[in-house]
Amino acid sequence: MTVSSTPAVGQAADRPGRHAGPAPRPAADGVRTRRGVRDRSGYLFVLPFVIAGGLFLAWPIVSGLWMSLTNRSLTGLGSEFIGFDNYVEAFKDPQVWQTLWQTLLFTILSTIPLVLVGLVMALLVHTGLPGQWLWRTSFFASYLLPSAVVASVFVWIFQPDIGLANTLLDKVGLGPVGWLTDKGVAMLSIAMVTVWWTVGFNFLLYLAALQGIPGTLYEAATIDGAGGWRRLFSITLPQLGKVTGIILVLQILASLKVFDQVYLMTAGGPNGSTRPILEYVYDTGFTNYRLGYASAISYVFFAIILVLTLLRLLPSRKGR
Amino acid sequence: MTARRRPGYAPAGPVPPGRGPGGGPGMSRRGFLQAALVGAGAVAIGGALAGCATGADGSGRTTVRIWDLFSGADGANMQTMQAAAMKANPDVSIQSVTLAWGSAYYTKLAMASSGGRPPEAAVMHMSRLAGYAPGGLLEPYDLDKLAEVGIRKENFAPAVWERATYQGELYALPLDTHPFISFYNPKIAKQAGLLGSDGKLVSLDGVDTFLDAGREMAKVTGKTGMAFGYLLDTAQAWRLFWGLYGQTGAGYELVPGKAAQLDEKAATEVIELMQSILDGKVVPANQDYAGAIASFTTGRSGLILSGEWELPAFKAAIPDVGGMPLPTLLGTPANYADSHSFVLPKQAHPDPARRDATYRVLANLLSQGSLTWASAGHIPAYQPVLSKPEYQKLTPQRDYAHAGEIVVLDPAVWFAGAGSDFQARMCDAMSASLQGKAKAKSAVDGMLREMDRLLKTPNPA
Repeated sequence: MTVSSTPAVGQAADRPGRHAGPAPRPAADGVRTRRGVRDRSGYLFVLPFVIAGGLFLAWPIVSGLWMSLTNRSLTGLGSEFIGFDNYVEAFKDPQVWQTLWQTLLFTILSTIPLVLVGLVMALLVHTGLPGQWLWRTSFFASYLLPSAVVASVFVWIFQPDIGLANTLLDKVGLGPVGWLTDKGVAMLSIAMVTVWWTVGFNFLLYLAALQGIPGTLYEAATIDGAGGWRRLFSITLPQLGKVTGIILVLQILASLKVFDQVYLMTAGGPNGSTRPILEYVYDTGFTNYRLGYASAISYVFFAIILVLTLLRLLPSRKGR
Repeated sequence: MTARRRPGYAPAGPVPPGRGPGGGPGMSRRGFLQAALVGAGAVAIGGALAGCATGADGSGRTTVRIWDLFSGADGANMQTMQAAAMKANPDVSIQSVTLAWGSAYYTKLAMASSGGRPPEAAVMHMSRLAGYAPGGLLEPYDLDKLAEVGIRKENFAPAVWERATYQGELYALPLDTHPFISFYNPKIAKQAGLLGSDGKLVSLDGVDTFLDAGREMAKVTGKTGMAFGYLLDTAQAWRLFWGLYGQTGAGYELVPGKAAQLDEKAATEVIELMQSILDGKVVPANQDYAGAIASFTTGRSGLILSGEWELPAFKAAIPDVGGMPLPTLLGTPANYADSHSFVLPKQAHPDPARRDATYRVLANLLSQGSLTWASAGHIPAYQPVLSKPEYQKLTPQRDYAHAGEIVVLDPAVWFAGAGSDFQARMCDAMSASLQGKAKAKSAVDGMLREMDRLLKTPNPA
């Protein structure tokens, strides 16, 4: 056997061996004779996920689409086909556009610092601060908290009368800030909390990517006389391009589906200024019982995300 | 409930000897995973089995499931009342399910009803009836059957009974009236010279009297005179607004499909009044619900505008806490209130034995339990209790009981009521103006806009 065939041998011998298979026979005919068995076992392995995905992903998508064309109510009454009426209503509903804008605003307010702060934290830790494990743990720890814990902690910190934030401001002689009660501030506060809560994940991705940059690059640059800043801008940052792309996409998607921390901290207030579109969908469907209309709004939102994603994909395809 | 949880307790199943769950630190990863798997499977099976429970539990008693939304002292009282009701009806086993108060409770109730397998009875705010009864989610009460168990129309205030009826049928069995009133700290009131010779707070009727009293109490506390928490709350601002709007005597008309009719002048006047109360001296301009309670119970304010359901918390901190209806600030005595009631969610396959047991249990909760219920502050809807000497001994309950006679209820329209999106939106619309960041008019405009929007929305029930 030559070296080039080794991977095939490995695969053939390895895969069936994992679940049942008798002792691996000579590799060459193993591939041929077992193909049938292997294919069928593949389906078996995929089956649970196909069932789960079909039940909990594909079917809800189809039935939600159908629901959006009806006036279906949570109370189970009146489920008639009404064509595109819900979509027409959604396009005319100022609340849809307001909450959509607020969702985008939150995405902008949270994504930028989440990427930048994560990067800076990773760079600082990577430059070799003593006690790496301590930094890593403390930067990542908040990410492990459930949203309900984060929300209740910060609701108390932001408490207008006796909260920590305003008490500290008061100590240095600054007036109280309506962290969650002032229309202009509430969204910023929520974005801030979100950054504190989830930046650890981006930090970890960046740190992993930093550790993956070959040391030889730096060595060569140092020999050529490049200083620390030069190495940062010419080696480190370009090398992080790919992971930044991944982080951006993950972050944008995570921010667009913001719901829990807003719902728990302000319930969309003050005066609807922090209500994201998903909360409007929830309010419409579950509090006001209009499932059909809520589904229609979801699909409008889905379409917008889809378009955004495709737009992002276009240039990157060309680039390759 | 217990049946569903039981399998989850012990990770039964093939665990290597000596490494059982009781083995403490000796549990291996494999053992843990096996146990978790077995446990999960058991929970799944248990859940499936719980779904086909029959009309009687193991001991042959008829099961009556009741959903409620009571926590704290209310929850404890309801448990006591249900235990007593079971004692009086030994053949009945009450399965009580307590869910969190708020919009999610009504979502769950509506879903359970539309699924055809709701509990036998559930607690509902009467203000939500307009969204439930017309949609066929509830079963009307059989008045003859109610009479058999001793509950009659004469037992209730006519207005309350009227509110519980829809198209001539009784859909809700009223349990209480819970008004939004004022509580005061007698010690602070006394120092401020506001206690009468009977040891009760003098009348605070009239805007100037009320504001002056607030300032006097502020001098005593060194902080603010009164407390009222509304920031980011989805009901408080509305409770005060709607009660005061009722005091102006102005009318309103909220008819789906039409524009909202509200007396804008009166509404603006009410918001302006609220702004002058929330001046930072009489009442802090930026208090939230928990902050207001903390302020009152720690003596940083002498009076609180609050629902009477907070009485147990107040009594714990201020044993001699006093109570009275909302002072009449704008002419006509009126007091915002809601009512808890028992409803019968529509079941696809009602079991006559259970239905029968449900009537008996609910009758017992009303006629025997009402006194217990009143101890947490509520005014019992079952009138015969009010004249009992035991009730007359309850203070400060008896001092504000007449608030139940000047009640202003939520508009009877499908989208309004406790825990509704409507109340949340109204509070939201008022928020900026109440904090002094916007004119009163803009709050009224915002409220009218939201009312119009909801009136245009098709009724989903």
